[in-house]
Amino acid sequence: MTGPSAPSPPSGPSGPSEPGPVGGPAPAAANAGAPAGAGGPGGGTAVEPRTALHAPTGRSWRAFLQPLAIIAIGGLWMLYVENSDLDSIAARVLAPDYVAQKTWEHIELAVVSTLLVLVIAIPLGVLLSRSWARPATPLVLAIANIGQSAPAIGVVVLLAVTFGIGFWTAIVALVAYGVLPALRNTLVGLQQVDPTLTDAGRGIGMSAARVLARVELPLATPVILAGIRTTLVLMVGTASIASFISGGGLGDLITTGVSTQRTPVLLTGCILIALLALLIDWLGGMAARLLAPKGL
Amino acid sequence: MIPAEGILSFWEYLASRRELLVFETWQHASMVFQCVLAALVIGVLIGLLVYRRPRLAAFATSTAGVIFTVPSLALLGLLITPLGLGVAPSVVALTLYSLLPIVRNTIVGLSGVDRTLVDAARGIGMGRRRILLRIELPLAWPVILTGARVATQLAMGIAAIAAYVSGPGLGEQIFSGLARLGGANSINMTLAGTLGIIILALLFDACFLIIGRLTTPRGIRA
Repeated sequence: MTGPSAPSPPSGPSGPSEPGPVGGPAPAAANAGAPAGAGGPGGGTAVEPRTALHAPTGRSWRAFLQPLAIIAIGGLWMLYVENSDLDSIAARVLAPDYVAQKTWEHIELAVVSTLLVLVIAIPLGVLLSRSWARPATPLVLAIANIGQSAPAIGVVVLLAVTFGIGFWTAIVALVAYGVLPALRNTLVGLQQVDPTLTDAGRGIGMSAARVLARVELPLATPVILAGIRTTLVLMVGTASIASFISGGGLGDLITTGVSTQRTPVLLTGCILIALLALLIDWLGGMAARLLAPKGL
Repeated sequence: MIPAEGILSFWEYLASRRELLVFETWQHASMVFQCVLAALVIGVLIGLLVYRRPRLAAFATSTAGVIFTVPSLALLGLLITPLGLGVAPSVVALTLYSLLPIVRNTIVGLSGVDRTLVDAARGIGMGRRRILLRIELPLAWPVILTGARVATQLAMGIAAIAAYVSGPGLGEQIFSGLARLGGANSINMTLAGTLGIIILALLFDACFLIIGRLTTPRGIRA
């Protein structure tokens, strides 16, 4: 796989250490491949910058600097806020219990919606990648592209207007928003599996199901995992919007902070959401590294 | 100018608020356009400064990546404290978010240029600046443009959230709909805002296709 086809769905926040240009898989591959192709093989010229763009990776202790820094910043901020002069309104909202509860709600929103997204998107992606469904793939990708241009806040509010407010509406909105990028990622991941390998699998007598399980899915795992990571981070971000429709989560601190004009509350909400997103992105990156099949 | 709050059909709603909607659509489009343009200038400059130094390039991409990972509502909230409400935090946030795809694609595009071509250009006596302007930038341009296109799509959605910090644009409709949840026209407002943004996003995307076709050097057109 050359640099340009690296998985980075356009609308999701992607990890800081992810290599390759950002772009829709198909157009990016087509466009980005062109300059390299003008002179030499794409792989040869693309490898050098890709390694250069990598942040320190692997299982060295340096990989743990980031999460430790994130947790330290969060802890220090909470210490600072709890010990600063707070009036009664701010103090009530910033009580450690309340903040912990909101953080937990936020994680719950993000994790539950991500799981639901995966349960829907991966089987659907697998189904759509079967040869009998191939004609439908461009259509689905086109719909996914159009769906991606729907603003998150619009989707969330529309669902709230239709279904009423609350945790589960927030989940439905998050899932509706996250399913398309994840589906696209699964499809792209399965599509870029070298067809000669699946042919070889069939040739040595594997059934179609076995080829899927032993050849296609393992080879698509890196792309699918990258998609899961993107989805998680996307969900952490979108979950902060869920507080507009009483979905709970750390967005509550932001809305309370803005409506009561308490800057410490607002800042705490913003900082904790930002740190949570960074932490989850790191976790996703580690998981992608550890779970990817060896040999890729 | 707001008519009596009877429940209107979607088309009636559109007709009754036509001027406001056109104005907000225009604001939305112009804010996104200006922010992406600013990000394009800044991002390409950053890319040009760092692409020959791998460490700096890695630093620039990971910094932009961190900003990018921060959810938009959080960044907008953080910007309220120094910048207040209104246009300023929205514009700063949009520009910051647009930077990552552009910076990353500029670096990848420029480093993806075949070194033998640069050598050949030097061999026929081109100077550093001429090589950059005549060889490297034109070859990297499609990748940079893809970055700008992705940035535009992102900025469209984030601009809607910017209405929460009183930013301009169609997000206003969505938040008014939210404020009147269950009331008359709340669906109409939200739908108008959401559909408006989708249409704008598709229009911008089409523009990028055309710009890409027109500005890609003939030799590397697909």
